[in-house]
Amino acid sequence: MIDAIVVVLFVVGLLSFFSTTIGILRFPDFYSRMHAAGKGDVFSSVAILLGLVVYHLRHPSVGGTLVAIKILMISLFIFIASPTATHAIIDAGFTAGIKPWSKDENRPEGEGGQ
Amino acid sequence: MIWQFDFIILALALVCAVASISLKDLLSAAIVFGAYSFLMCLLWTEMGAVDVAFTEAAVGAGVSTVFFIAAVLHTSRQVKPRRHGRFFYKVIGGAAALVIGGILLAASADFPTWGDPASPASTHVSPHYILHSIPDTAVPNIVTSVLADYRGFDTMFETSVIFVAGLAVLAILGRFGRRQRDEEPAEFAAVPIAGQSPIIQTACRIFVPFMQLFALYVVAHGHHSPGGGFQGGVILAASFILIAISYDLRTMLGRLRERLNMLFASLGVMIYAGTGALCLLMGANFLDYSVLHHILPATSPIMARSHGMLAVEVGVAFTVMAVMVLIYVNIASHGKSDKGL
Repeated sequence: MIDAIVVVLFVVGLLSFFSTTIGILRFPDFYSRMHAAGKGDVFSSVAILLGLVVYHLRHPSVGGTLVAIKILMISLFIFIASPTATHAIIDAGFTAGIKPWSKDENRPEGEGGQ
Repeated sequence: MIWQFDFIILALALVCAVASISLKDLLSAAIVFGAYSFLMCLLWTEMGAVDVAFTEAAVGAGVSTVFFIAAVLHTSRQVKPRRHGRFFYKVIGGAAALVIGGILLAASADFPTWGDPASPASTHVSPHYILHSIPDTAVPNIVTSVLADYRGFDTMFETSVIFVAGLAVLAILGRFGRRQRDEEPAEFAAVPIAGQSPIIQTACRIFVPFMQLFALYVVAHGHHSPGGGFQGGVILAASFILIAISYDLRTMLGRLRERLNMLFASLGVMIYAGTGALCLLMGANFLDYSVLHHILPATSPIMARSHGMLAVEVGVAFTVMAVMVLIYVNIASHGKSDKGL
């Protein structure tokens, strides 16, 4: 039963990593790519780390619980740090004057998708 | 050791290495170089060298990438357009690289296989450390006991090398003189603190104390888990660099004065060498900590070696932290240490 939870969390994490990668490759401009990268990255890595937490709690032991708590702290760190980093990158892009892509205009040179 | 995993990591590391030397944009090259360091860190973790991997993650992928980016931001982002070298030189260069690479590849066939118990390294000196670390020094992490006790003399000079690197950066980039000092108060008033958006500042303000606490843990717990003075010192320096990036260099220098920072850099080397000299004064060999049990209350000679290692690691942490901050401050401000990144 617990193994099933672990597998589900891992698969969810890997699938969302996959969709993050597709998003980074396929979205038209800087901002929408960061949107894919930021959200997908946090969600998928936290899902995989939570899977590891559950995995270490399968057989209750002091060492396993300690590792689980440490991984929980790492996922808390990612939960705060990664969106902040995404914000910082988007902020820097906005300050540098990168124009958002819009449907009406032609795609800006060098910013469009491949 | 899972060879498929190693193969993927090594292939990616090769791609990163080629990309980081062939990219024209130096900022991208610096970031790719950070990715390369992180791949090497993964490889070392996988081989069981966790202390080395920790150092690589903190120094290679972390702080040195920040140094590179700071240097790129303050010099030029593009590679200088290269004159097309003559064909003749290209041929000679390529031939030399191929010949030397071929010799190295041929020599690597003579290496013992990874983890071979019959290799010279595993038969000669390693068993001694593995068997004697706990009876001799009561330190379970053999890497720490080798680094700070059995080969403490080596590590003392590693610390000195870091100190000298800080001095070199200061000698090249630092600006001294009375004129500079007189100008400073006026500049302080004139330039407003720029900094980043409040979101970044708040997040960094939350993280900094936890980072510093973790760094102290890494320094003090190096006897029992991966870590030690080098890694802890780098994490401490990273917390200060984070303040400088998210707020302003001046805010950071307000918390850690430059003069105090230089004092820390030399204090660390002095703690290390002073511990050794203390052992010498008490009639033992240089850095033979076991004699310190005469002055440490309620310790056996074995525990004294453990405590001596802790003292030495604290010295290393002081020097590494101060030199990393010093290098960052000087690179990020052209040696004037006034404005932010």
